[in-house]
Amino acid sequence: MTRFVENTITFPYRRSLGPLLTTFMTALTEKRILGSRTGDRVLVPPMEWDPQTGADIGLDLIEVGPVGTVESWTWVPSPSAQHPLQKPFAFAFIRLDGATTPLLHAVDAGSPDRIAKGARVAPRWKAKRAGRIDDIACFVLGTEPEVDGPDGPPAADLVTMMDYLATTTYRNPVPVAADRAIAATREGRLLAQKCPQCDSTYAGGRGYCVLCAVPLGIEHEVDLPTVGTVTNFVVITPVQYPGQTETEPFVRMFVLVDGTHVIYGYQAAVDLPWDQVRVGLRVRAVFAPASADLEEVGAMGGNLGNLLGWTATGEPDVDDPDLVNRIF
Amino acid sequence: MATPSKDIAIVGWAQTPMVRRTEQTETQMLMQVITDLLKPLGLTRADIDFTCLGSCDYITGQAFSFVSNLDAIGAWPPKRDSHVEMDGAWALYEAWLRLQEGDIEIAVVTGSGRSSTGDPALIYPMEMDPFFLAPLGADPLTFAALQARAVIEAGIADERRMAEVSVRSRGRTGPKADIDALLKTDYVREPLRRHDLPPITDGAVAMLLATGDRARKLVKRPAYITGFDHRTECHNPSFRRLDDSPSTRIAAQAAGLHDGPPVEIAELQAAFSHEELLLRHVLELGPDVRVNPSGGALKSNPIMATGLSRIGHAANHVFSGGRRALAHSTSGPCLQQNLICIVEGRS
Repeated sequence: MTRFVENTITFPYRRSLGPLLTTFMTALTEKRILGSRTGDRVLVPPMEWDPQTGADIGLDLIEVGPVGTVESWTWVPSPSAQHPLQKPFAFAFIRLDGATTPLLHAVDAGSPDRIAKGARVAPRWKAKRAGRIDDIACFVLGTEPEVDGPDGPPAADLVTMMDYLATTTYRNPVPVAADRAIAATREGRLLAQKCPQCDSTYAGGRGYCVLCAVPLGIEHEVDLPTVGTVTNFVVITPVQYPGQTETEPFVRMFVLVDGTHVIYGYQAAVDLPWDQVRVGLRVRAVFAPASADLEEVGAMGGNLGNLLGWTATGEPDVDDPDLVNRIF
Repeated sequence: MATPSKDIAIVGWAQTPMVRRTEQTETQMLMQVITDLLKPLGLTRADIDFTCLGSCDYITGQAFSFVSNLDAIGAWPPKRDSHVEMDGAWALYEAWLRLQEGDIEIAVVTGSGRSSTGDPALIYPMEMDPFFLAPLGADPLTFAALQARAVIEAGIADERRMAEVSVRSRGRTGPKADIDALLKTDYVREPLRRHDLPPITDGAVAMLLATGDRARKLVKRPAYITGFDHRTECHNPSFRRLDDSPSTRIAAQAAGLHDGPPVEIAELQAAFSHEELLLRHVLELGPDVRVNPSGGALKSNPIMATGLSRIGHAANHVFSGGRRALAHSTSGPCLQQNLICIVEGRS
């Protein structure tokens, strides 16, 4: 049975709004909705260019709505985590009074038989507004705008940036060969696969030869020496981006395994301070005990199994000017 | 310019099994399908002059996922390679352009995706307008439902004809083909029911293009690409007429659909049942044109390969003696961008 692993990834985007959207989003914090005027049309959502011709239509913004008319709708019986409402609702194209194009938004209608084409709707504003389209929590049936709780103030300054966080979970198969390589690390072994056509050797469980594009199986497995030489390294001073857990400088090394062409990339140093790492340093693999929880050990998302990193052997350095070129 | 300056033909294609969830990685799927493509043609990876791969990092959940897909090509010594973050049909378009340079003869294109990896309802909103649509979690089912309503209001489709499209595409018989029963089931997104929606499919497709003489040496009856064009519309459906598809119409005109003899079959990338009815209408396909004899995207929908497989099935029609076939691919919400490829056989 193939094992599957789940990874949840959050994409933290911060986007600049530019002059048009800055004006639009700032107005939302004042509970006002703006449209772009071009000729005899008023575009909502506002655009910087004509959607048909691409012509620059400048910054001619006028207030529309806040009441509008449902032009089309669909019912969402089971909302996703990203939807504006966490109960059944309608997604609708709403043409705000004074606009010539419809805005997509949610309508909290209660049930699908209460909404229809032509229904009049008004915004339910969030009490605390940040200058985003979801400052409108949703639309409600009728012509009276609402505020969701005690009304908060408009933005003190122009809203020029917008954060957008999307989180999604992926479920991927782990190749059988990768699981076998991980299992070997619990016995303190580094397992590789050797291509029968070109003799290239691949650490871990890639499961195929990238030169010959042929699958590699159990019959192609070989044990690697657990001793090697640092060919190159990088010292990383952590930047505190979202998700970064490191706070102090740390090193990642590239290790050429003895008697092979195999490089272990981005390897951690164990009991080896970052300022003592150098090209030519002799190192040996350090494994966590077989009993260690796989989730708790290893770098690189656990795909190195119990291989924690590498530590100095104490042997003399290797003096080879070509070493530094090997990072793959 | 849609008319090729040079003879370029599809000489073969291959697809993986189309399944709900594969245990293979995307790279492993591609490795198999490229081998399956080359072997019957008597070619090896060393014979490939150019590759273009279509795939999507958001679906894979991995930045630069196409780099590991290159392992399936056997990319050493270095090859001429390109990638599109689009369906493989657009990869084919790029390869078709590249072959017109005239200095190379053989291109391999692929489309690949493991849709089962994530939840489309959470992934697709990230690709929508970042200011007005993504923050609302605007998902593909919602857009499809809004377009279906527009197409129904325009009289181009109705719920019964949509159910008939679904039953025909999936080759349903017996109780599963009971239209009245289907129309009594709940809406997933009104007016769409479960049968109007595509399945989630994992799969990959690989296709081989060759220039004139080389193509004729490889197979007896190549499928010549005689017209190829793609057009796009505004990214936000708020600004489009959803009961029409002007980009499809223009691409078809530019590809010469109406200039030659009528096509015998049309393979349309219609993932939702109403899309087939809209596309037939816009392309003015008569009742004698067989639409989606393969079953189309309602039968299997390997995102990023669905369009390329449409072109493959159109080529099959020519391989087996047919004269002229149309293939269509699409991308973006509510048929935003559309591609038309015409393939022909010669006697």
